[in-house]
Amino acid sequence: MSSHTRRIAVNVGAGHVPGMNAVIVGAAQAAGQLGWQMVGIRDGFDGLLYPDRYPDGGLVPLSPQLIDDLDATGAGLLGQASRVDPFHVRSVNADDLIEEVDMSDDLLARLKAAKVDAVISVVGGRGLSILYKLHRQGLQAVCVPRSIENEIAATAVSFGFNSALSFTIEMLDRVRQAARAARRIGVVEVLGAQAGWLALQAGIAVGADAVLIPEIPCDLTTVAAKLKEKVTPQRPYGLVVVAEGATFIADPHAQAKPSSLKASLSPLATGEASDHVIERSGQAADTVANRLQLLLAHEVYPLVLGPWVRGGAPTAVDRQLGIAYGAGAVRALSEGQNGVMVAFTPPSLAFVPLADAINKVRTVPTDSMFMQIASSLGICLGRAS
Amino acid sequence: MSTPINPAAPTGTVLNIQRYCSHDGPGIRTTVFLKGCSLRCKWCGNPESIAPKPELSYDARKCTGKKACGLCLKPPFPDGAFYVVDGDDDKVKVNWHLATACDQAMASLCPTGALEMFGKTMTADEVLNEVEKDESFYRNTHGGLTLSGGECLLQPDFSAALLKGAHERGFNTAIETAGNVPWRFMEQVLPHVDTVLHDHKLTSTERHKKWVGVGNERILANFKKAYETFPDIDFIARTPLIPGVNADEEHIRAVLAFIRPYKNVIDYELLPYHRFGLGKYQSLGVVYELDDYKTPSADLLAHLQAIIDEAFGRTPEATTGT
Repeated sequence: MSSHTRRIAVNVGAGHVPGMNAVIVGAAQAAGQLGWQMVGIRDGFDGLLYPDRYPDGGLVPLSPQLIDDLDATGAGLLGQASRVDPFHVRSVNADDLIEEVDMSDDLLARLKAAKVDAVISVVGGRGLSILYKLHRQGLQAVCVPRSIENEIAATAVSFGFNSALSFTIEMLDRVRQAARAARRIGVVEVLGAQAGWLALQAGIAVGADAVLIPEIPCDLTTVAAKLKEKVTPQRPYGLVVVAEGATFIADPHAQAKPSSLKASLSPLATGEASDHVIERSGQAADTVANRLQLLLAHEVYPLVLGPWVRGGAPTAVDRQLGIAYGAGAVRALSEGQNGVMVAFTPPSLAFVPLADAINKVRTVPTDSMFMQIASSLGICLGRAS
Repeated sequence: MSTPINPAAPTGTVLNIQRYCSHDGPGIRTTVFLKGCSLRCKWCGNPESIAPKPELSYDARKCTGKKACGLCLKPPFPDGAFYVVDGDDDKVKVNWHLATACDQAMASLCPTGALEMFGKTMTADEVLNEVEKDESFYRNTHGGLTLSGGECLLQPDFSAALLKGAHERGFNTAIETAGNVPWRFMEQVLPHVDTVLHDHKLTSTERHKKWVGVGNERILANFKKAYETFPDIDFIARTPLIPGVNADEEHIRAVLAFIRPYKNVIDYELLPYHRFGLGKYQSLGVVYELDDYKTPSADLLAHLQAIIDEAFGRTPEATTGT
């Protein structure tokens, strides 16, 4: 395919991560070296599906000058759509009725009409499955893995994880200071519906007393016993980090649920104040805090970092990784790869079939180095005794 | 008394037939839920009714796992549609993006019923034969057939045939509708209806669009026209009450102002939001957008109900405070 690929499109799936522009810069610069044209699709696939919405065009020519001037720490060049699924596009029919229609064939035809030879998609989770489905339908596609949770299989680190980790650590440090000053136990919920990487690595970094992750069903009586040991008159505070997907064995009714759409229903979603406040997210933190409150003499309070760790500037690691992933995706195409995901397998980049990346979750192995470190530091992981 | 099936009778997609219902119109009723809806309410309690066609559902509790079964991990099931993750959990998981090609024939291969289809194509006669089974209950209680959904008016030929057939059998008929359909659908079906239970979800057009997916202009125009065109039908307005969305006095008063000029709107009912639909969302692989919403408090309900009672000139019911 290398000799034919002359025009590549790049797009970004739903869900913000810091520094998305870095991937675009990496891909565009690498494509430029090969003399290829690069365009960006606005808002997922919306730029192609709804070109009328974009007075300046749904496709953004990524010229060398634009790329040269682009702030690689930014994330807003192409934008994102809240729903990126051409197989289920919500539309209105001739009778003015809502329906979900399959526009995948339409999308492929529009890519062809725009003379796009291949698409580089910066996606994770659901976006990976959708890209795989499009690939099976004929799309030449390369995926750049993007995830805050770092749960995408076959790659050691997904783009976006390191920035989220850094910000989570910064916020946990603040919570820890506040808990110390207030002489309370803070329970902080962090992202991680399926995998506990963010909670565990951040918890280790800040010296949390307990870290509760989806991989280990948690016994809160064990956590309470540990806190009784650690929270003393000389050290009258504590910090518990809980991943949003943590599960609890002591009380099946207290099991927290993954909440993947909580981010889309921001606290401002209703747009107006009301006496009847809508509760969102924070179920894991609430569950832990409420149970510990009953088991401990100290005051326990829940906090939710949640989706806003997705904002801010990228870390140096993510900037490098983003540029490397973007350039790696172009290299994959130049080598004739198709239907692959660029994976970071230290010390190099590899190209993994999309089929090997979907339907798997990269969880924290129970014998992993991070688990061992946590145990050696005396961090309680909530294992039933 | 069974009626022979007429192959030429209209067919429709039926989600479920529920017998012995007592809240979907007068008396004891059989409620037929039709598939397909023209709204996308974020609090929807029947997510399986939204898509117009039959669709796959998965109940992990019934799955015996890869070692004991694993049938769905092989052809003819679509590649990648079902999978098992590494670890202790042997149960199959569904990739909903790749499972869309699964049909009834595939679902029926699942020996434990973990996979099944929501929705079935039926003729009007098949449905009416089922409805007829409780004929004696209808006669004793003035009950009959209720069409619900989804939005039953999205299948106007089928709905009209069912309701006409029910009338011919002497059954009372009712429909539950949100009214977001072309007027011609309503005009086709309403002549066969005794009672219309209809929703007034939000007053503000903009907020209606945000929470329900479309504006409410056509809905209000349809109901107004229906009140005027069909004076002999009993209309009962309803509002599913969701705190933070529409559970407020302003909305209730606005609905009352809309319906009270019409004598044939005989009541206005409040339906407190519940979370019964949550498990169904998980079965369908659909994300529930109102995961954490509260149900309305008893005090709030009593307050809003008192406003309605006053508007209808009724003495408020004594509250027990429990």
